[in-house]
Amino acid sequence: MQRKENETPQGQAASVLVEFLEVAITAVVFLKGVYPSGFLLPSLDSPSSMPFLFFFFFFFLLLLLLLLLLLLLLLLLFDVGKGAFERRRYMNVVVQRARHPQLRYYIHATVSGLLPFLQKGMVDRVAVVFFNTDNVPLEKFIFKLTVNQSYGSSVEGVDLQISLRSFLAKLSVSESLTKKLPPDCRWEITGNFQLLPETGTSKEANFWIPTDTKQWEQPLFITPIRSMSSDPLCLQFYIEHPSLSESSVL
Amino acid sequence: MDSRLSNSSSSTHHSNSKKRKKNATANNTNQKTLGVAWGSKSLSASSCSSRKSPFSDFSSYMAHKNCKLQNQFDSEASASAARKPIFSGVSIFVDGFTVPSSQELRGYMLKYDGRFENYFSRHCVTHIICSNLPDSKVKNIRAFSAGLPVVKPTWILDSIAANRLLSWVPYQLEQVASNQPKLSAFFTLKSSKMSEDTFTNALCQVEPDVQDSFPRVGQLKERHPSEVGEMVEVCRQISNESNDISSKKTDVFMMEEPIGERVICDEEKLAEANSSETNNERNTEGELDPTYQEPSTSFSIPCSDNQNVHQFPSSEATGSSKQCHSTLTDPNFVENYFKNSRLHFIGTWRQRYRKRFPTLSTGLNNGISNSNKSDIKSVILHVDMDCFFVSVVIRNKPALFDKPVAVCHSNNSKGTSEISSANYPARSYGIRAGMFVRDAKALCPHLVTFPYNFEAYEEVADQFYSILHRHCNKVQAVSCDEAFLDFTDAMVEDPELLASSIRKEIYETTRCTASAGIGGNMLMARIATRTAKPNGQCYITPERVDDHLNQLPVDALPGIGYVLQEKLKKQSVNTCGQLRMISKNSLQKEYGMKTGEMLWNYSRGIDYRSVGIIQECKSIGADVNWGVRFRDMKDCEHFLINLCKEVSLRLQCCGVQGRTFTLKIKKRRKDADEPAKFMGCGDCENLSHSVTIPLATENVEILQRIVKQLLGCFYIDVKEIRGIGLHVSRLENADTSKQEKYTLKSWLTSGSASVEKQKYHMGHNKHNSDCANCASSHGCIHSQGSSFQIDNKILNIHVSGDPISTPPPLCQLDVEVIRNLPSEVFSELNEIYGGKLIDFIAKGKGKCESSSSLGNSLEDDATCKEEDLPYSDPIPLNQIFSENKAMQHERVLGSGHGSCSQVTHNSNIERDDLLPSSLSQIDASVLQQIPEDLKAVILEHLPAHRAQDFCSTPAICPGRINQDSVGVDTSKNCPGTVNHALNDSLWAGNLPSWMDKFKDSSCLRKLGEIYHRSGFNSQLSSVLPQFLSEFHHLDLTQEIYDETVNIMCELLKQYVKVKIERDIEEIYICFRLLKRFAVKSQFFSRVYNDIFPFLQAAVDDNYGGSLFMP
Repeated sequence: MQRKENETPQGQAASVLVEFLEVAITAVVFLKGVYPSGFLLPSLDSPSSMPFLFFFFFFFLLLLLLLLLLLLLLLLLFDVGKGAFERRRYMNVVVQRARHPQLRYYIHATVSGLLPFLQKGMVDRVAVVFFNTDNVPLEKFIFKLTVNQSYGSSVEGVDLQISLRSFLAKLSVSESLTKKLPPDCRWEITGNFQLLPETGTSKEANFWIPTDTKQWEQPLFITPIRSMSSDPLCLQFYIEHPSLSESSVL
Repeated sequence: MDSRLSNSSSSTHHSNSKKRKKNATANNTNQKTLGVAWGSKSLSASSCSSRKSPFSDFSSYMAHKNCKLQNQFDSEASASAARKPIFSGVSIFVDGFTVPSSQELRGYMLKYDGRFENYFSRHCVTHIICSNLPDSKVKNIRAFSAGLPVVKPTWILDSIAANRLLSWVPYQLEQVASNQPKLSAFFTLKSSKMSEDTFTNALCQVEPDVQDSFPRVGQLKERHPSEVGEMVEVCRQISNESNDISSKKTDVFMMEEPIGERVICDEEKLAEANSSETNNERNTEGELDPTYQEPSTSFSIPCSDNQNVHQFPSSEATGSSKQCHSTLTDPNFVENYFKNSRLHFIGTWRQRYRKRFPTLSTGLNNGISNSNKSDIKSVILHVDMDCFFVSVVIRNKPALFDKPVAVCHSNNSKGTSEISSANYPARSYGIRAGMFVRDAKALCPHLVTFPYNFEAYEEVADQFYSILHRHCNKVQAVSCDEAFLDFTDAMVEDPELLASSIRKEIYETTRCTASAGIGGNMLMARIATRTAKPNGQCYITPERVDDHLNQLPVDALPGIGYVLQEKLKKQSVNTCGQLRMISKNSLQKEYGMKTGEMLWNYSRGIDYRSVGIIQECKSIGADVNWGVRFRDMKDCEHFLINLCKEVSLRLQCCGVQGRTFTLKIKKRRKDADEPAKFMGCGDCENLSHSVTIPLATENVEILQRIVKQLLGCFYIDVKEIRGIGLHVSRLENADTSKQEKYTLKSWLTSGSASVEKQKYHMGHNKHNSDCANCASSHGCIHSQGSSFQIDNKILNIHVSGDPISTPPPLCQLDVEVIRNLPSEVFSELNEIYGGKLIDFIAKGKGKCESSSSLGNSLEDDATCKEEDLPYSDPIPLNQIFSENKAMQHERVLGSGHGSCSQVTHNSNIERDDLLPSSLSQIDASVLQQIPEDLKAVILEHLPAHRAQDFCSTPAICPGRINQDSVGVDTSKNCPGTVNHALNDSLWAGNLPSWMDKFKDSSCLRKLGEIYHRSGFNSQLSSVLPQFLSEFHHLDLTQEIYDETVNIMCELLKQYVKVKIERDIEEIYICFRLLKRFAVKSQFFSRVYNDIFPFLQAAVDDNYGGSLFMP
C-alpha cells in the first residue's frame, strides 16, 4: 500500500495499474475456464460408489502404513484437488490467483515488463487474446489505457484502487457477455505500443517481441465492460469479438 | 501412481463433506488446522462427523460456525502478545469495503483486545464499521444497523493512535449522520458548553498548580461532551426501540442505567471537586462492570488515563541537592535549558525571522526566476556582524570595546564552562570559542566574561534585518547575524559605496560593527567577508577571483570541514590553487559525486546557488546534552514529558505535524570518567530508536506516549544517560491534516459553523437579487459574496476560535481593499492570518472556482426574473452568437428603451470583479434610471473592459437569452441557426449550456430539470432512465417536432464526442437504455435511428470496431 514518496504520479499510477492488471488478467483467464478451475468439478462428474469402497480399503491400508506417508500424500492431494486457481483477497475483493508457478510467472513477468512503458505512457492497450487450435483469435479482452503525462499533482493510491476494484467486481459477473471457448484453446497476453520500443536500449525492451497474431478480417464487435477515468489514468475494459457469428444472430 | 490417483478421488469425497466447514478466511494457518482436524477425525473413522451430519438445519450450522470462528479468534488473540486493552468491550462488524480492509481491522481487534464478528448479530456486535453504505441501507438504517452505531474505520485507527477508545460520535458515517435529527447536535452543543464552564470554574478553585491541571481539564472537557452525545444517542435508541421485544428492552435498560448514574457522578464531581475524584471514578467503573459488553464501558478508559496524568505532580521529586542545574533538581530543567541555550536561540531564530518578515521572504521566491539571467553581472553582498554575541552584550559599554571580552554560560570559580564567543581583542590572546573559561583565564587573566542576553540579541537581529530589507528586496538570512543580499536587479553602480552605507547604518543603529563582502556569487561574497573581517569590507571583482582563490586555504571554503580538510591534506592539498590541479573526475571518485563537484566548482569560484532560496525544514526536534543526570526512571520520565512539551511547542510554532519520531540517547561509555566540562556529556555512545505512526501529530500526550515507548526500546540504565534528543520528521502541514482529523473541538463547533455558513449563503443570495435590480451599485457587496467561495475551511477554523479576539474570517475581507493597503499594514495583517493573506490575494486575482450552489441560487433568481420581465422583441439567437461585442453594444443602445429584453444577470459569473461580462446582462430599465454621467461612465467602461473576456469564455456567456415558450417557434423559423448554435460545445462549462437551450421544449425541459435535480456532475446514464419513464407520459400528449428530435440527437452526439475516448461504458449504457425505450416510444426510436450510425462511426474511429448492441 505504501508507495515511495518521490515517485511521479504517473509512476504511482503505473505501479498500481501493474498490480491490478496482474490480478485482472488472472481473473480473465479464470473466467474463461482455460484451466481446470477447482476441485469440485471432477468429483461431480465421477461416479460415487467406486471411490467409497476404494477409499475404505485404501485408508485402512494407509493406517497400517506410516503416518508420515499420509501427511506426504495429503500435501499431494491438496495439489491435485485444487485446480489451477486459489482464492485470494485483493483490494478486499475475492479474486483468483494462479497456483501453477509458470502460469503465475508468465502473467507476472509480462505485466511487470510493461511497467516502464506504462510510466512513459507508451502502452496503448493490453490484450488477453484467446485462440482456437488454428491460432485464430476468438475473443480479446482489451484494456485500453491512457496515462496522462502532463498530470502533476500526487495520486491517491487508495482512490485509484477503489476505482480499479470495480473492474474486478464487474468482470466477475460478466461471464454472460463472453463466448464459450472450444475445449482446446490457448491464450496470450499482447501489448499494443504506440511506438515500438527500441530494442537494445533496456532490458525491458528486449523482453517484447512483435506478435504475429492473426487479425480479423471482418469488422469486430465491442462489448464494453467497464470504464474509468481518474487522472492521471484512464482505463477502458472491453471485449472484442469477431462479427461473423453474432451478425448472423442479429 | 495408482494409489495416488485413487487417493485423489477419495479426497474429493472427503473434501465434499469438509467444504462446508471451510472458512471464509483463507489464510495458511487455517488450512493447516483444517488439515490436522481432518487427519485426526479420519483416524477415528468410526466417528466421522460428516456422516453423522450434526447440522440439522442452516441455523445450527451457522451457530456452529460462529462458535468456531469465535474460538479461532480467541486462540489467535491469546497468541498475540502484549495486548493493550483499548477496545475491550468493543465488538465490530465490518460491512463492505473499507480502508483499511476488514482483515486489517480484524488484526487491530486481535491486537487491542476487541472482538471481530464475521456475521452480524444484534447481540454480539457493538459497532458497525463501514465507509460507504448503499442507498437502500441508508433509507432504512434501522433495519440495517439495529440501532447500533455505524462508524467509519478511521475511528479505530485514531483510537489506536490516541491509545484510548475515542468517542465514536464524530466518526459516524456522514450518510447516516445527516439522516439523524438535528436536535441531538443542538443539545450537545449547549450542554457541553455549560459543563465546560462549570468544569473550568471548579478546577480553578481546586488546582493551584495550573500547569499540571491543564491536561486534565482538556481531558475532562473532551470527555464530557462525548458522553452527552452518547447519552442523547442512547436515549434516542431507547425511544426507537420501545416497540421491540422485551428481552431487548432489558438490554437497553442495562445500558441506560449506568449512564444515568454516570452523569450524576459527574455532577457530584462538580459540586465537590475538592474530594478525591479518582475514588469516584473507581466506583463508577465498578458499577459499570456488569454491563461490560455494552458500549458505555468505553468511557472508563479515559478515566484511567486521568489517573496517570494525576500522578505526575506527586511523583515530582523535590530533591535538596546543591546543584541546581541538572535534571536531578530543577523541575523546569528543560525549559530553563532552552532559555539559556545559544544554539537554541540561533536555531529558533529563523522561525521568528520568518514571522517578522513573511512578505519579504515569500516575495523572494518570485524573484528567483529573474535572477538566472546570465548576461547581467550579478552582485552579491554578504553581511556579517563582527563577533555578534559579544558585541551586542557590550554595545552599551564603550569602555569595554578594546578589552578582551567573552560570552559564556556561567562565571563560576572553577571555570569549567565553555566560551561561546570572544571579541577580537580576546581572540588576539588566542582565546577561541569552545575553550574552557579557566584555560582562557590562563591565557588572558583580565578577560571579562558576560552571560548571554537573548533579548538584546533578538532586538539587534531585528534591527539588523530591517536595515537590510530596507536596502534590498532580496535578502537571504543565513543566521541571526549573517545574511546575503542580491543587488543584481538593483543595478548598483558602486557596490562598495552601498556596502559602506549599509555598514554605517548598522553601526549607527545597533552600535555593533559589521563586515561586508561583495562578490559575483554567494561563495565569493562569503570569502570576501572573510578577508574583510573585522569591521571592514572587501570587493572581489570577477577579474580578481583567481588571484584571490589561489592562496586561499581550503578550509576557508564553505562546506569543507575538519574531516574533508584532513583528507585533502593527505593528498597534500592545502590551498584552492592546489585543489584546482585535480580533475573533476578524480575529485568525484574520491569524495563522491556531490562533494567532488562542489570542490571542483568552489575552487574555481563557481557557485550556482541563488540568493533567496529558503529550505523547508525536514525535521524538528530538541536535544539536551548538558546537565542530564537521572536517579531513577521517574526522573527520566518527567524529563521526557518536558522535552515532549518543548518539541510539541516547536512543532506548533512551525505549524507542522510529524509522523516519525526519533529518540536519541547519549549513553556514557563504560570506561568514561566524569566529563571535564561541568555537567557535560563527556564521552558517550550515541543510540537512537525511531517509530513512525500513521497519523501525523503534534499532540503532547501522544508524543509522551511514543517517547515512553521508545525509551523502553533502549533497555538502558537511566543513570547512564547523558543526553536525550527527540526529533520529529516526515513533517506535514498542520492545516491540511487538521481537516481530516476529527478533533473534538472542530466537531463541536461544526454545528455553529454550519449555521453561520447558512447565514452567509442567505445574505449572499439577497445580495445577488439586489445586484440584479441595481446593476450600477454592484459595489463591494458582490465581491464579498463571491469571495465567500474562496475558502470555507478557513471559515471553519476561525469560527472555532475565540469569537472576540479573532479577526474576521478571510472570506469576509474585500480583496480590493487588502490589495490597496499600505505594505506595513498588509504585512501585519498577514501575520495575524498566519501568512494566508498572500494566498488569498493570489486566489482573488485568479478566477474563483465555480460553485454549483452559487450557480443554483443565481439560476433560480434569474429564472424568476425571466418570467417576470415583459418583452416585445426577442433578439434572435443566431445574432447573439455570431455578432461581436461592439455590435451588441450598438444594438442595445439602438433598440432603445422599451425594446430591450435583456436579462439582468448571468448565472455563471464567477469572478470577483463586479462588472457583468457584457452589456446585454444589464437591465435596461435600471440603466435608464441612472444619472446621465454615471451611465456614460458605465457604457464607456464596459465594452472595452470586457471584450477579451467575452471572447475567451464563449461557453459561459451565451447565457440567458430570453426565449421562454416561443423558443420553439424561433428555432423553427431558423432551423439552421439553431444547429449552428448547438455546435458550440453543449457540454462545456460547469452547468452544461444545453440546459438553457432546452427551456423551450416542454419535454426536453423535463430532462434539464431531472439533470438539475441529480446534481450537475452526474452522468447521463443515471439521468436517462428517470427521464425516459417520465417522458413516457409526455410522449402521449405531445406532438413530436422535428426540431426536438434534432436537438436531442445533437445533445447525444456531443455527449458521445465528449465521452467516447474516456468512458465508452457510459455511452454503452446510455444507448442500451435508448434502444430499450425506442421500442416503446416513437420519439426515441427516431432519435435512436438517427444517432446510431453516428455512434458506430465514432466507436469505429476510436476503437476500430462497432459497439455490440444485443
